[in-house]
Amino acid sequence: MNDSIKRKKIGEGVFFTAITDPKFKSNRISVNLLLPLEEETAANRAIVPFVLRLRYRDCPDFTRLNEKLCDLYGAIVDGDVRKYGAYQIMNLSVQFLDDRYSIAGEPLVQACADLACGMLFDPYLESGLFSEEDVRLERQNLIDTIASEFNDKREYAINKCISLMFDGSPLAVKKYGTRERAERITAESATEAYRDILRRAAVEILFIGCGDPSAAEKVFSTRFAGVQRQPVTYDVSLPCVSSKEVRTVREDMDIAQGKLVMGFRTGETTSPDAVNAMKMMVALYGGTPFSRLFQNVREKLSLCYYCAARYDKASGMMMVDSGVETGNEQKARDEILRQLELVKQGAFDDGELNSTILTISNALKSTVDTLSGLENWYLTQILSGTDESPLENAQKVSQITKDEIRAAASQITLDTVFFLAAKKEGQDQ
Amino acid sequence: MKQEIRSERIRESYQKMDHPSGLTLLLYPMEGFSSAYAMLTTDYGSVDMAFRTDPKADFTRIPAGTAHFLEHKMFENEDGDAFAKYAATGASANAFTSFDKTSYLFGCADHFEESLRILLEFVTTPYFTPQTVNKEQGIIGQEIKMYDDNPDWRVLFNLLKAMYVKHPISIDIAGTVESIAEITADSLYETYHAFYNLRNMVLTVAGSFSPDTVVRIVDETLRPAPQLYLERGFVKEPDQVAQKRIEQKFPVAAPMFGLGLKVRPADPKTNVVNSIVNEIVNEVLVGDASPLYRRLYDGGLINATFDSETDCGKDFSALIFSGESKEPDRAAQEILKEIERVQKTGIDPAAFKRSKKAVYGRYIRMLNRPDSIANAMAGAYFSGLDVYDLLEIAAGATLEEAQRRLAEDYKTEYAALSVISPLD
Repeated sequence: MNDSIKRKKIGEGVFFTAITDPKFKSNRISVNLLLPLEEETAANRAIVPFVLRLRYRDCPDFTRLNEKLCDLYGAIVDGDVRKYGAYQIMNLSVQFLDDRYSIAGEPLVQACADLACGMLFDPYLESGLFSEEDVRLERQNLIDTIASEFNDKREYAINKCISLMFDGSPLAVKKYGTRERAERITAESATEAYRDILRRAAVEILFIGCGDPSAAEKVFSTRFAGVQRQPVTYDVSLPCVSSKEVRTVREDMDIAQGKLVMGFRTGETTSPDAVNAMKMMVALYGGTPFSRLFQNVREKLSLCYYCAARYDKASGMMMVDSGVETGNEQKARDEILRQLELVKQGAFDDGELNSTILTISNALKSTVDTLSGLENWYLTQILSGTDESPLENAQKVSQITKDEIRAAASQITLDTVFFLAAKKEGQDQ
Repeated sequence: MKQEIRSERIRESYQKMDHPSGLTLLLYPMEGFSSAYAMLTTDYGSVDMAFRTDPKADFTRIPAGTAHFLEHKMFENEDGDAFAKYAATGASANAFTSFDKTSYLFGCADHFEESLRILLEFVTTPYFTPQTVNKEQGIIGQEIKMYDDNPDWRVLFNLLKAMYVKHPISIDIAGTVESIAEITADSLYETYHAFYNLRNMVLTVAGSFSPDTVVRIVDETLRPAPQLYLERGFVKEPDQVAQKRIEQKFPVAAPMFGLGLKVRPADPKTNVVNSIVNEIVNEVLVGDASPLYRRLYDGGLINATFDSETDCGKDFSALIFSGESKEPDRAAQEILKEIERVQKTGIDPAAFKRSKKAVYGRYIRMLNRPDSIANAMAGAYFSGLDVYDLLEIAAGATLEEAQRRLAEDYKTEYAALSVISPLD
């Protein structure tokens, strides 16, 4: 592995991180603008990257912009919104071939860095505001995106469980905001959100790939120097909560298969070691094809096609989700809890732990081979206040002991159970 | 026999070897990478529904969903399940069945040799019993239901059902609860021995590994396969679609559509060559930079979910346009009208040039990752191509070829529309 990582402050609350490795054939510039999630502002901020993606001052036409991207060998510009714990991240990215692979040797790094900067700093404005037309279009798209969460039943059930679990806290706010708020977005409110983001967001710019990042660093430094900044202080501390009582909610829907989602709280995991132990515990319990959940709930009892656990350290949550036949949900729930109890008691053997360690460290070592793997890894590291490499982390998780796994499991408490039941034909609910 | 396959354009190469066992090896070491990705693929997928291994015998009919069922069952051997074996190496293993291929794969950063041994051993050791087959019918039944709840999957398979009259591409890859009920341990053995002959398979490896190691492990693990006579039973599919429009009500927020154009297939290799040129034509017609995309997007008839693809196999080829739309029928009409318009006016040379660059860039990016290289090598191999051919077809496409494809393949009278609409 030849990758090197360099993180540098290039403005007030603005950091530029370059992760480069000559093995790649393309580059990616990813601009992440972070602000605390708030119910009132989430939708107005969420629309911003989509409006910026449409056109900008020096390329004031959507079709011309897309032609330009085609000419840059199909460079891909994306605007999107992510969520990390209680933070909303507005993201603008451009991915493009390295100069070495253009047919006529055209320089692509500079062109794409200029393009990303142009979109971020010089939006297309009419009388100082985003165009009414652009806002109308993207408002509708945002409303549709919010509504389409309903399409994927597995995702829908997971989101429903999260909303129930964190009701009333910023962690429950959805990354695109609510439909009601989205419907009220205007050109004024979106432009104001844009100016607020540029002024107050904590900014993390990542350059990942094989090219020379200096052109990108320079253009972003220069442009941010021209902005009056009062950035928020990004707070990495984790919520530390246990649940007091279990809440169970059921919803019926006209679908073929029931979706059972169980949300657990992971208690206090403030140290990096505790986070690593929790990560390994969740993997051993339900994160691999030989995990407790896969082997027992699926393979032994044939209760479902999928049954997996995932850990979200930013929210202090473990989630188990499973597709089960309606009527079997209690059986599945009992077995899922029984397996957790066994892990708490340490009723697993060294082989299981070793295999989990091997699997996770293998996955960590493989993340350095893709641009997206590197981007996700390092962004998450930066957001949790470290710059640990995947290899360093692999080294650490390899040292996790059975006692640490037991200790992590014993912190877990069930909080919310959501079951999306398949309504039988002719059954009214 | 060893052969070096080289691209002057990107100054990279990989090795092709015909192993004495009958298996073809395609080995693509990548400097600087930490992980390796190995994939064992058989030229057998969900659309292969009849075969014979004796030219004088009758064709054996295979129940729908058998290829996928076999994929699941291969993981189980008499001495335990393959996932449990991979657990000891830490590799991330998986398998998938498509219309025309079944692939078993793993990715790893450490213990490559042990994992490769596991892969080669379990895929060449069939073990099926009535009990294990019975149990799998339950698990796959759940998987089929999971897909029944996925509107993206439904819109596609409803579309294929509307497009194809006889071709098995219109049946779900996993089959149906009824069709997999017909599968028995004996039928699995029979199908396995026909299609999992090493001469009908390819091993592709990309990333951080040594080709000599792969060859040594293949030497140690595989015995020569018997000679192979394998004839597939193809159906004669008409040009016409089965039905012009198909609709399903579903709990979705907004309507979704899939518009398919049925292309008359040529030979397998030509199908791939043409479909790459058609990727460029699609880009010209409905790509982000096209006038139509702009019109549909501004009119709210499509959103960012809109996409176009070309799909082909040995005896089928199709063009598919899909996405969410508040007015699916109007969106589909607009696309068909635009195809007919450009057929009359001809493709704008500037748009062609741009679109070609975009498609070329896509193929270079494919060569960025071990997993996509392993995958692409296998796909290209079964079509009689190498992976760099795909790049060269894109780089070398001419406006004339694109015009010809537009005239021959984009027949609007052979279009079908699939709509998923929200419940009332």
